[in-house]
Amino acid sequence: MSSKPAAAMKKMFFREAIALAVREEMRDNPDILILGQDVGPFGGSYREFDGLFEEFGAERVRDMPVAEAAMVGVGVGAAAAGLRPLVSITYMDFMMLGFDPLINYGAKLRYKTGGQLTAPVVVKTTAGAKGQGVAHSQCIESWLMSVPGLRVVVPATPADAYGLMKTALRCDGPVVYVDHKRLFPVAGEVPVEGGAVPFGSAKICRPGTDLTITTHSFMVRTALEAAKLLEKDGLSAEVIDLRSLAPLDMKTIVDSVGRTGRLLTLEEGQITTGVGAEVVTRVIEHLGPIQFTRVGALPAPISSNRILEAACLPDAGRVATAARLLQSPKKLVSSY
Amino acid sequence: MLYKISVPQVADVEEIRVLEWHREAGEAVEKGDLLVELETHKAIVEVRAGQKGILRKILAESGNWQAIGLPLAVLSESESDPVPEDAQALADLPVDFEIT
Amino acid sequence: MSDQSPTAKLRMMKLIRAFEEALAARPDHGFQLISSGEEAVAVGLCSSLAPQDQLLTGGRSIGPAIARGVDPSRLMAELLGRSSGTNKGKGGRGHIADPASGFFGAHAVVGGNISIAAGVALALQMSGKDAVAVILFGDGAFGAGALHETLNIAASMRLPLLFVCNNNQLSVSTPRSLALAPARLSDIGIAFGIPSQTVDGMDLDAVSKAISGALAHVRAKKGPAFVECISYRFASHSTTARETRSREELAEIRARCPIVKQSGKLKAAGALDDASEQDLDRSVAGAVEAALKFADASAMPREEEALQDVI
Repeated sequence: MSSKPAAAMKKMFFREAIALAVREEMRDNPDILILGQDVGPFGGSYREFDGLFEEFGAERVRDMPVAEAAMVGVGVGAAAAGLRPLVSITYMDFMMLGFDPLINYGAKLRYKTGGQLTAPVVVKTTAGAKGQGVAHSQCIESWLMSVPGLRVVVPATPADAYGLMKTALRCDGPVVYVDHKRLFPVAGEVPVEGGAVPFGSAKICRPGTDLTITTHSFMVRTALEAAKLLEKDGLSAEVIDLRSLAPLDMKTIVDSVGRTGRLLTLEEGQITTGVGAEVVTRVIEHLGPIQFTRVGALPAPISSNRILEAACLPDAGRVATAARLLQSPKKLVSSY
Repeated sequence: MLYKISVPQVADVEEIRVLEWHREAGEAVEKGDLLVELETHKAIVEVRAGQKGILRKILAESGNWQAIGLPLAVLSESESDPVPEDAQALADLPVDFEIT
Repeated sequence: MSDQSPTAKLRMMKLIRAFEEALAARPDHGFQLISSGEEAVAVGLCSSLAPQDQLLTGGRSIGPAIARGVDPSRLMAELLGRSSGTNKGKGGRGHIADPASGFFGAHAVVGGNISIAAGVALALQMSGKDAVAVILFGDGAFGAGALHETLNIAASMRLPLLFVCNNNQLSVSTPRSLALAPARLSDIGIAFGIPSQTVDGMDLDAVSKAISGALAHVRAKKGPAFVECISYRFASHSTTARETRSREELAEIRARCPIVKQSGKLKAAGALDDASEQDLDRSVAGAVEAALKFADASAMPREEEALQDVI
């Protein structure tokens, strides 16, 4: 088996990594088109589609009215009929409007038609709290993990924003691609014209020995900050960036917890039926009882109020506190 | 007197990419002159000199990255001041920056 | 539907009626939505479609599927849950699909297939193919946001999409007059600049004419069109739903039978006589019997198939 030459690495902003992946795939595949608000000349709310309208034109980069239900339906239907739409939903909170066409039709299409049809659509959306209020701040990706027929991916770095988008645009079924408002200021190295990241592959972004922190999206950065704090206490945290929620890479997670013996799950969303609840349950199914704790947002809507928002969201300090509690042999109640 | 030009404290930005220098090392600059354009994840920042001087050494060339608060260039009042190895200790040159 | 002669269309209506009656008579009929009384809508619509067009429907799918040319045997097998059915037994009536026959599919969510149909239309538009998408929905879906959002998008993008509203004037138990504000449903087209009309859904020729005219507009790449067909359903909403109308009302409704109407029309014109009609009825009965036989001879899916075709 010949090895591919290493792709050239280039440092770029998170949004540039998305635009690059989409541009490369759109050049390669004329069936890809973008549907969304402000995706055309405006280049996307976060400039994540910068330059694509200029290169591919109004036929393939289409500004749509604010009508998420129909817009997702059009994307799903067009996918079922042979195109590869990328439907962009600026705020994940408004994905809910598109749940019927995405979940009741798109995710079930292959099954309900006995394999005759499938809907290769990518629904890209931006989650996370950043001072915009209760209906513009949610992280609801855990709600989607349990939908049979749906894949859910969550890049936390520019390289993965690029790599997961490439894979998403080549997938033969519906994919939900969730990025995060607070990731857009981030810059990182990206393998240009290389590096498609497969689904179902988590990444150990910081090796460690005393506990495993599994997390995704912006919280990966929080976890890494917490790991630095813990290092000062002589605690070595292994941080796993999940990258893919459906399918989940249980091998990497189980392997890690098997070594460290302790699991802290971290997410910005709610811990009730959250990503962590699923990770913990599956790890225990594999390894038997382990010490664990789940960290997530407080069970409240996330206000635009600076003080209240900060009070609700996990930060490095809170994660480190939870990790230290995990070291005690006492039985733990899931804490925030 | 020597100064450093640092990446301005633009809100919500962690690091920038240097887009284009508009003055070269050795050139005299006046207050208000456009020195360099920086690219953030959202927009372009125009950095203008807040006082006159001579641009002595560019530390981050076009295409390079630099974090907020870290040095981009060295500027001095007179062309004979020796340029130090480490610019971090220098005083910050006042600059005006505009986000476009 | 390849043969569009009046006799062929009459036969098709009779086939739908006989097929659905045979299905409903079975003890294992399952949860079905029958379209007795609405055959002229299905046949008037489908007889005007070209082979490359794609039809999407809501949950009252059996009549339109038959009219579109889905094989009655594979359809019956699907309705009776057999793995030899169009959807391997996994969709049932609510999700019948046979895109190769131009029946892109039914979808059981009320109004749920409307924006999907616009997506299909977009794909057809971008492919450059001379084909249109058609979405058939009932008055029950008319109040859904999905319809209004899709009308806007279809008009704005000039999609090759034909909206056909089969207004049988009842949504389960709710009369349309109680649920829907517009005096005439097709007036919705005015708001979006879409050419629209309302026709008698019990009159096969009226439906055919209206559909043909609307299709010509859509095929000329002038954007979507809207046809409302006013019809009557002879039975209750579904095989489990209670009937809400009185015996007298039902008798009056059944007197409007589109099949009897069309048969009488052809006989008056000398295009049909009792003997040739009996031939049609025999042919239809034979097709229905063959469909039942095929289904009964087919196996149910194996348990393992529950996890196939998921992703």
